[in-house]
Parts: sequence; structure tokens; C-alpha cells
Amino acid sequence: MGLVCRVVEEAGIATVCVSTGRDITALVKPPRSYFVNAPMGNPFGQAGDVATQTRILRAALSLAMECKDAGRIVDDPMQWPAPFAFNPAPPTAEARERQLRK
Amino acid sequence: MEPIRYVDTLAEKYGALGFPPYDWSRFDDAPLTPLGKPLSACVVSLLTSGGVSRCGMPPFQADARNDLRLDSVAPDAPSNDFRIHDSYYDHADADVDLNCVFPIDRLRELAAAGEIGAVAPRLWSGFMGRIYKRQAVLQDKAPALAEMLRADGVDLLVAVPA
Repeated sequence: MGLVCRVVEEAGIATVCVSTGRDITALVKPPRSYFVNAPMGNPFGQAGDVATQTRILRAALSLAMECKDAGRIVDDPMQWPAPFAFNPAPPTAEARERQLRK
Repeated sequence: MEPIRYVDTLAEKYGALGFPPYDWSRFDDAPLTPLGKPLSACVVSLLTSGGVSRCGMPPFQADARNDLRLDSVAPDAPSNDFRIHDSYYDHADADVDLNCVFPIDRLRELAAAGEIGAVAPRLWSGFMGRIYKRQAVLQDKAPALAEMLRADGVDLLVAVPA
């Protein structure tokens, strides 16, 4: 997604990324990023939390307006209420087969 | 808590299954196009890569690799008319409230309040995770999206990776 933002930005359209992966964002460097330290499924907060969803969207829009240093990451102050981890489903048997054949 | 170290975690999890470490793109700098007008005059679009599709469309494949599908989403689509298929992240919250990952209701509210100029005529869902065909994105799919954004008069794209 960071790559997509870079291409769109190069084409002359401003972009802002709302990211939950700070290390990945720092590597790929989209033009502007708003980092939310939340699970990957919750970049705008929790279900039904309209106030937080609006606050984060507004913050991202403001960043798009104000940011003048390319590649900048701004950190949202929210503390997620519980510890969380990253647990992607393992690749399918078919994907593993394909990989192991390489 | 400290931000999750996704790069290390992925290398560990997939490495244990025989996959080589993912070769992340790394850049020292980034392009920047200033927004040439106030937000209240900007046409804003949204892009999610979270496997989000309208109920009337075929779902995304939850375990997709190299899926370059990109759906356009009507700006007035009801937020309860979507489903999410993506095994990469926990979307339980977004299943009941799409705005957790794709805040279309919130964007429409900001447009109604005049904080942004307008919601774009097309919003976007695609570029799901685990795309290894980087050149296809860089040279074909992302430029095609930029062209469609331009055609729609979009000033600002809010992108939400998942």
C-alpha cells in the first residue's frame, strides 16, 4: 500500500496512509503516514466508537494538509486498551507446496 | 505497548514454514505533492487493502497471493452492505462496523459538515496483502489507479493498509 501511495503521489495526487505497522511504514516510506498503535483490523479504533473514528480520520486529513516533509510518520496518542499480537493465518497447504517447489 | 515488529514477526513465522524472508521495499526518501487547496475544497477518496467487498460482488480470497483485484465502491454505499475476507488480520470489529478499517460513514459526515469538499465519486478496495509482483503494482496497477483518481477529480487519497 505504501508503494501505491508513492506512485499516486508521484502522479500528482496527495496521499496519506493510516497505518498500524510502524516498522513497515518506516521502510517503505509512503509520502505521509499517520500511525495508530492498534491491531491491524482497528486503524480507526473500535466498532461503534464514532468519536475515535472521526478523530483519527480528521487527524489524517490534517496531516495531509500540513505535512511538508516527505516520508513523515505522525504517531496517534491512543493507547489500545489491551495488549495485542499479530497472528496471521498460516499459508494454505497449496501456497506452501508452491513455495517449497521453488 | 511498543508497536508490533511486523517485519521480524513475519520473517519468523513464515521462515519456520520454509519461506524466505520477504524482501520489503526500502526507501530513503519519498515523493510529496502538496495539497494545493484547503480541505474544505478537496475531493477525498479512500482505499482499503483489507479484503473488503460489497455483498453483491464475489468476495476476496481470504488467503490471496498476488491478487491485483481493485474494486470501485460507490460513495453512497451503505456501510452494512460489505463483507471482509482476509486471513491476514482479525477483522471481527470491522465485520460489525466497517468504519474500523474503511471509514465511509465518517468521511460522508465530514463532507456533510463541510470539513472536506466532497467524497469522491469512487472509493477503492484492493491491493490485498502478500503481493509479490511488485513491478505489476508499480508499473501497471498503481498508475492505473492514479489515472482513475485524476479522472474523478480527486485531490487526496486516504489509504488504509491491512
